[in-house]
Amino acid sequence: MTSILTNPLRVGLRQERVITPQCLVIFGASGDLTHRKLIPALFELFRQRRLPSEFAILGCARRPWSDTEFRDRMQEALKAEINEHLQAWEQFSQGLFYEPVDLQQTDHMVRLALRLETIDRLRATRGNRTFYLSVSPEFYGSGCKALASAGLLADPERSRIVIEKPFGRDYGSAQNLNRIVQSCAKESQVFRIDHYLGKETVQNILVMRFANTIFEPIWNRNYIANVQITAAETVGVEERAGYYESAGALRDMVQNHLTQILALTAMEPPGRFDPEAIRNEKAKVLQAAHLADENDAWKCCVRGQYGPGGTSSHPLSGYRQEPGVNPNSTTETYVAMKVFINNWRWQGVPFYLRTGKRLPKRLSEVVLTFRRAPVHLFDAAGGAPTPNQLILRIQPDEGAEIKFEVKAPGSGMRSRPVDMAFNYDDSFGEPSDEGYVRLLADAMLGDPTLFTRSDEVEAAWRLYTPLLALIEEAPWQLPVHPYEARTWGPAAADSLLADDGLSWRRP
Amino acid sequence: MSAQLTLQAPLELPPADLTAYLEQLWSGHLAGSTGAATFTLVVWDPAWLEQQLIRSGRHDGPITGLLTPELLEAARTSVAALDLPPSTAPMDPALAWHLGQLPGDHKADDLRGRFVASAISAQMPRRLITVAPTLAADHPLETMVAAYCPLPDEGGAGAACGDVVVLRGGMGSLRQALALIEPLVAPELPCWVWWNSSLDEPPEMLEALAPIPRRLVIDTSLGQPRRCLDVLLAHIEAGQAVNDLNWLRLRSWRESLAMVFDPPARRPALNHVVQLDIDVEGHHLVKGLLLAAWMADRLGWHLLNSSSVADDGNGVGVSAEFQRTDGVAVRFRLMPVPVGVAKTHPGAILGLRLICNPADQPPLCVIFCSESGGCMRLESGGMAAMELAEEVVPLPQESEEMEMARLLAGGHDSTNPLLAAAAPIAARLLPG
Repeated sequence: MTSILTNPLRVGLRQERVITPQCLVIFGASGDLTHRKLIPALFELFRQRRLPSEFAILGCARRPWSDTEFRDRMQEALKAEINEHLQAWEQFSQGLFYEPVDLQQTDHMVRLALRLETIDRLRATRGNRTFYLSVSPEFYGSGCKALASAGLLADPERSRIVIEKPFGRDYGSAQNLNRIVQSCAKESQVFRIDHYLGKETVQNILVMRFANTIFEPIWNRNYIANVQITAAETVGVEERAGYYESAGALRDMVQNHLTQILALTAMEPPGRFDPEAIRNEKAKVLQAAHLADENDAWKCCVRGQYGPGGTSSHPLSGYRQEPGVNPNSTTETYVAMKVFINNWRWQGVPFYLRTGKRLPKRLSEVVLTFRRAPVHLFDAAGGAPTPNQLILRIQPDEGAEIKFEVKAPGSGMRSRPVDMAFNYDDSFGEPSDEGYVRLLADAMLGDPTLFTRSDEVEAAWRLYTPLLALIEEAPWQLPVHPYEARTWGPAAADSLLADDGLSWRRP
Repeated sequence: MSAQLTLQAPLELPPADLTAYLEQLWSGHLAGSTGAATFTLVVWDPAWLEQQLIRSGRHDGPITGLLTPELLEAARTSVAALDLPPSTAPMDPALAWHLGQLPGDHKADDLRGRFVASAISAQMPRRLITVAPTLAADHPLETMVAAYCPLPDEGGAGAACGDVVVLRGGMGSLRQALALIEPLVAPELPCWVWWNSSLDEPPEMLEALAPIPRRLVIDTSLGQPRRCLDVLLAHIEAGQAVNDLNWLRLRSWRESLAMVFDPPARRPALNHVVQLDIDVEGHHLVKGLLLAAWMADRLGWHLLNSSSVADDGNGVGVSAEFQRTDGVAVRFRLMPVPVGVAKTHPGAILGLRLICNPADQPPLCVIFCSESGGCMRLESGGMAAMELAEEVVPLPQESEEMEMARLLAGGHDSTNPLLAAAAPIAARLLPG
């Protein structure tokens, strides 16, 4: 008898929250994100029966496609997933529509409004709409204005708008964009996506902290010596050179993903599990965060750029040799920095953040290192007792791990570190939903908990303003250190911690 | 979630004027209301228990059709006073029948259709049609209508309006009034029919109110088990979208069972189930049958035989044998168990025991007990050598109206596949 791979009793039970009838309007429907992420996520929700029958998806882009052409293109793009679920796709695709729309053309918006009314009647979607702006960031503001001018955001109870990252390029542009968006819609209608927040393990940081009594009493400066947050990628820039050249690791990863993890790790307990209560605490902790040395930001940050590397059988190009990259590019593909949080809980505790491309492993984790025991009563196998660590593994091998000292077997009283691990696969054994499944569902449910609020976004940009200014105005003070592909970044990043008597965890 | 009252008393109209009046309402006061594009909800709302409690002087009016704590308290008191078995659930149709044998002629205002659970009104139905039979079979037909703008509990916009239609009368006059309902249901919008009563009631009324493609909501805990399962199965097989509140109340049991086998190391044990025991309250077996049928479907068991079994005078249970995919037999026993205080609906599950016997590992025994009571019967007998997984299953937290609102909020035009697969197995499990 073969073993059961999936839990047959789990099938079909994920229906905890049901999305209300509505029409999801995707702007930029001819783009990559729509067929790579959005439609697969929506199809998954459909197969989980979490979409009601009264549901429609209206793709909008400039291309003059028909409904049938849009359906065919989506079917072609999702061929592998659809093959096993042809009947489901047949039903799902009946709710797919397409309207050629240029957001800048007033008459197009009038036509869109009429089309939406037709779809409301055809699919009984009750006038509920979620608008998803999967367009180039420079159109976020004008897109919102166009929707507002057409009256499509007028009812705050029935219309929402989802905005992809990046939300601004710096503090000033984020503020401007927020002003525009908020002139078009209420904050409660705006859902700014950070797909990292859709990850089960990122959400688990909240549950680990606030559903257990064993962690929260020691989750502070009295017990924690430092915190490391790492998001490492093995891939290079791939096909994103055009965007990445103007963004770099700081804008692409740190300002959004790592900062959200920082906020969840460091925030105060919310009074209740309520979107605003959680977002209030996240905003507050980000407002209290600052670079370790704001006046001389170069002292607390290291930038790097991957050079050639790999093995003779699998050589890897350096960043500057990648297609579409300026051969003299000074864009960072690696960044490490030290941050403090000025509040009662975290005063004096350094938070080290690092991210990079072409590192040896793909992983994201938060490592909380506790203070050393005040007295060494025992000999330690490693010379000195290893400080306790709590490691929250966000990906891969999702789970958590605690490192602590135990007595080494034998006649003496020597201690040595061991691990106690929790692993998602061992306990649950089901792959969790892709981040977009969760985030799309939440947006359509009107639950903003996992979306960033305007003040959070601005606080995140403000935190890195000294670095962005330095890169802009005095880049020689923040040089880009080369590092060999598939190594753990430039040596200067090690020095950042070595100066504090610490080292990066080698996962 | 408090119930809301319509803002104005419904206007009584001659039946012939109903459609014209509503058209006028929508072209005038309600023109442009977003409620225009939602759905119609038809509720068969006899509230027999409430009517009989009021008539016999055991409960104060008015008649609302809502299941209030006061109503449940009066029903539980009546169970004892009428010398019915303590396991009789307040919603057991037998209680209403026994109350009907008592003398009394107390009257109360009949406000059925005017009270709307705010969870339901928050879904902004375009039209709520309440069909409200009276105890007096010769009561003439009354038709009432009101515009209705729900006020959200938490304030905010309330511009989405709809209308409320009440058809009240004796069974005879309501049969004649069925023709009035068809033109009231907007053909372009989904229509839900909530059969908020026993399935033992005259089938022609149910069939007339809920033709396909209307989506049907029933409760298989109300009515004779055979009749309940037959109705459920017939409507599923006819291709109708059927929702069963009794099935929805099983949610926490299904979830708890799935949770035990989430760790991959436990899953192989599901290939080696040898015994399944379920205890239910009182004498109503449908919920237990649906739970067993769901497991049988998910694990690919084939039903070999099923028979009635009596146990200690508590009532008649079911003993059955399934065959696993590897040919090994699985014994199943479903037993009714008397309780001191019954839950609201008949046949609530008290406990479940699942025994798995893998070849190269110690046997695994899973025991689940309802939050509200023990399951000593299932905990007894020779499990010392087994790995024991024991859990308490929480009681459902949500009211009928909340469950209804959940269905209305994101409904489907097809039956949940798990229920569709379990229903035929449950029907075959029930002997006779």
